[in-house]
Amino acid sequence: MRKLAFFIPFALFLGLSVFLFSGLFSDPMERESSVLNKALPAFALPDLQRPDTIWTEQKLQGKPYLLNVWGTWCVTCNAELAYLTELREQGVMIIGLYYQQPSDAAFGEVFNLAELQQEVALKLQQQGDPYQWNILDKDRTLIFDLGVTGAPETFLIDAKGIIRYHHVGDINPQVWQQKLAAAYQSLEE
Amino acid sequence: MKAFFLSLLLFAATAQASQALIEFQSPEQQALFKQLTQELRCPKCQNQNIADSNAVVAVDMRNKTLELVQQGQDKEQVLAYMKSRYGDFVHYQPPLNKFTLILWLLPALMVVGLVLVLLVRRRTATSAPEQEDSAQPKQLERQLDQLIEQYRRKS
Repeated sequence: MRKLAFFIPFALFLGLSVFLFSGLFSDPMERESSVLNKALPAFALPDLQRPDTIWTEQKLQGKPYLLNVWGTWCVTCNAELAYLTELREQGVMIIGLYYQQPSDAAFGEVFNLAELQQEVALKLQQQGDPYQWNILDKDRTLIFDLGVTGAPETFLIDAKGIIRYHHVGDINPQVWQQKLAAAYQSLEE
Repeated sequence: MKAFFLSLLLFAATAQASQALIEFQSPEQQALFKQLTQELRCPKCQNQNIADSNAVVAVDMRNKTLELVQQGQDKEQVLAYMKSRYGDFVHYQPPLNKFTLILWLLPALMVVGLVLVLLVRRRTATSAPEQEDSAQPKQLERQLDQLIEQYRRKS
């Protein structure tokens, strides 16, 4: 009984230590996406550079591709453009989903499409252009339906339009090899 | 100086006026909107609700909540809408499922464990001292009796 009285606090302490120690290595931002294995939500959004073209979820079917959520205001997105361009050269199909941050009317900000087109074109010219085309989600409706919390985020979508993988954060050689390459190749076959 | 402070007050008034005022059709809708924005969690800035946060996604969620509430949707419908996009994470009241079961079981188990420990301690507390108190003095008393007997014979 005496021994037990000594060991119970010790066991509790040990358990707590292991629990807290493992917590040091867990990522609180990481959680299961709730859109996984669901179809891409219905949408009708214009092409960024050719606003007359309207893209819908059905028009995108037929080939597996990466849907890369980005914006020129996003520093990490700019950093991944070069590697994504490399992937494009390897034959990976990447479609951009460009989203605009809300313009603050109180500071006299207004949305200007022509300006944005210029800005994006310049950025892609400087950093590399990985995109087949860019879809403009001005009011952030599609990214809301996709459960996007920020940029960059990347979705792997199969030929039938089903979301197979949802990656939060940038894509670099390591992430591509470890998380996305195998899944993409299995969809291509 | 007085004029300066008065002009400050004036600025305060205009600053408030630039905040958007939301109009509700009924007090119930207003209460529901208030409750939902306090219970829904911002998926970007953890540990803030969407009423509290000004992250882009929180602002969008707030606007969407308002839109759905004004359409006449009830609390469960709005929560289901948000959860289907941002997961159970987005609500501060986690549902009971196999991943969260331990949250409900652990406190119950701890109470049961504590009651058990108390019961065991009470049993040993009431039974053990009796043994200690009674067994040793009896032996001592016997020894004492023997000693007394010895000395009595000698004298």
